[in-house]
Amino acid sequence: MKSLKRTKDITPILGASFNITINNQQVRAAAGETLLSVLLATDHKRIMNNDHHRHCGAYCGMGVCHCCQVKVNDQFKQRACQTLVQPNMTVETLSNRFCEEGIK
Amino acid sequence: MTTPHPVVIVGAGPSGTAAAAQLGKLGINSVVVEEASKIGGVIYRGPLRDSDDLPHLDDNLKRAMDALRTRYSAQQHHIEFLTQTRVLGPEGQNKLLLNKENTLSSIEYQELILATGCHERSVPFPGWQLPGVMLLGGVQLQIKSGLVKPGTRMALVGTGPLLPLVACQLHKAGVDVAGVYEASQFNKLAKEAIALLNKPKLTLSGLSMMAYLKKHDIPFYYGWGIVQAQGNETLQRMAVAPYNECWQANLKHTKTIDVDAIGVGYGFVSRSQLAMLLGAKHQYSQVCGYVPTLDQWQKSSLENTYIVGDANGLLGADAAIFEGQIAAIHIAQKRNKISPKEAEQLAGKVHRKLERIKRFRCGFDRFSARQFGLLELPKEDTVVCRCEQATRGQIDQAIEQGAKDITSLKMRTRIGMGDCQGKTCTSYAIDRLHHAGFIDNIGTVKPRFPLDPIPFTLLEDTHEAL
Ligand code: FES
Repeated sequence: MKSLKRTKDITPILGASFNITINNQQVRAAAGETLLSVLLATDHKRIMNNDHHRHCGAYCGMGVCHCCQVKVNDQFKQRACQTLVQPNMTVETLSNRFCEEGIK
Repeated sequence: MTTPHPVVIVGAGPSGTAAAAQLGKLGINSVVVEEASKIGGVIYRGPLRDSDDLPHLDDNLKRAMDALRTRYSAQQHHIEFLTQTRVLGPEGQNKLLLNKENTLSSIEYQELILATGCHERSVPFPGWQLPGVMLLGGVQLQIKSGLVKPGTRMALVGTGPLLPLVACQLHKAGVDVAGVYEASQFNKLAKEAIALLNKPKLTLSGLSMMAYLKKHDIPFYYGWGIVQAQGNETLQRMAVAPYNECWQANLKHTKTIDVDAIGVGYGFVSRSQLAMLLGAKHQYSQVCGYVPTLDQWQKSSLENTYIVGDANGLLGADAAIFEGQIAAIHIAQKRNKISPKEAEQLAGKVHRKLERIKRFRCGFDRFSARQFGLLELPKEDTVVCRCEQATRGQIDQAIEQGAKDITSLKMRTRIGMGDCQGKTCTSYAIDRLHHAGFIDNIGTVKPRFPLDPIPFTLLEDTHEAL
């Protein structure tokens, strides 16, 4: 599996860390941080594909705008800015149930 | 004798934490419900992951974070702290429905303190949906709590004291700060000198931030603001222009700047969704949206519900701490832990400090008062409601066709009907209706239960279980 580089960290990753998978690429994530921070650290700015097929990025960063929703461990519509990383988490950006599966 | 129910506090920012600590000091137990994993709120949460040092944060901030934590830890035995827990809304009488990691539960309270804070006011402009355009507070959370730079070359636009502060933090974090654009004119700030002297220390720290920016050649423009964000898939460039007194952009003098992220901060609105859902009386304020009607003890129109901190107006962290303490003192008196006289004495001191902050703050509010020019930024096809992709053109048309209030605007355009429940588009819609001459009875987007999305299956499961 390819791995992603974190290029935007202000301080080095210390303490407990583990791997998570973003779009089939592995990346190191530190215990306690939000998924949005890992996405931004790896330069993922386009994050969500909304129900109107519009790509957006994190906007409020604090759970209010719902513009950072991604698929986490097979669950759609999880807010990256409100999700803390967990070991072996798998994440898909730009995923949308309506666009992928249609209305069931 | 049954032990009384604890006081439930929603939000562990400065006001909620201060309320819990003050209650503990007076011998009262509380339960604090918080969305995040740590106390402090957006302002004092601090880093979420381990770090040896925080080179980009100044000592004042670190001191304030430590002070809050110390106060909290001293009373920890009186406080139950529910982290990563969201309030979905009221459940029956004196109960709240909670969601933690997709498990529902409810909590009963005798008194409730809402310390839900505020969120940022969105100002739609062409391109504001491009990835890379973030609200200023979101940028700050990433550098303070995430320890991550949201961009390589950034600019800040908006108004108020947060602009220079975040600019300094970004620069210290290693971001190339291309410029800071304050919508109001400098002479307006000069007029507020007397009000600002109510808080000389804060005013001085503001000046030292300006000096820092100057020293590092970071341009700070008064009377300038955003016009447009541009880029293919993500932000690549932004256009700024001089604003006149009414914040109308002079497009003849537009300047484009290459940036890969922007922080946009044109002010805040109180987060009053839960208070509204509970039925507390609110009134509209031009500065901070719908705010609850409160008495001098922070008590709302509901007998046992107090509202503290930015959730009832935007006075910032210090005031939030005092308000949390005032509510706690009143609850202690109601529970006969202290006499009315003691309560008056304790609260008197706090009230006086609060007054000073209010005078200082009024100066800034006048300086940063939002002007109608911002309403002219979005073009006909600019989206105003991100969730439903409703455009300015659709809103204009609905108003032309007779919509005079938020509800009819919502029914015609779908604004406010998406996931965010109108938190992003309502401010624009209200300002737009006001500007069209409708002031009274325009209403607001009514908060809906559940306040935070949960899977349908979860409600089903719980009801079967009950
Ligand atoms: S960025 Fe707004 S909800 Fe996550």
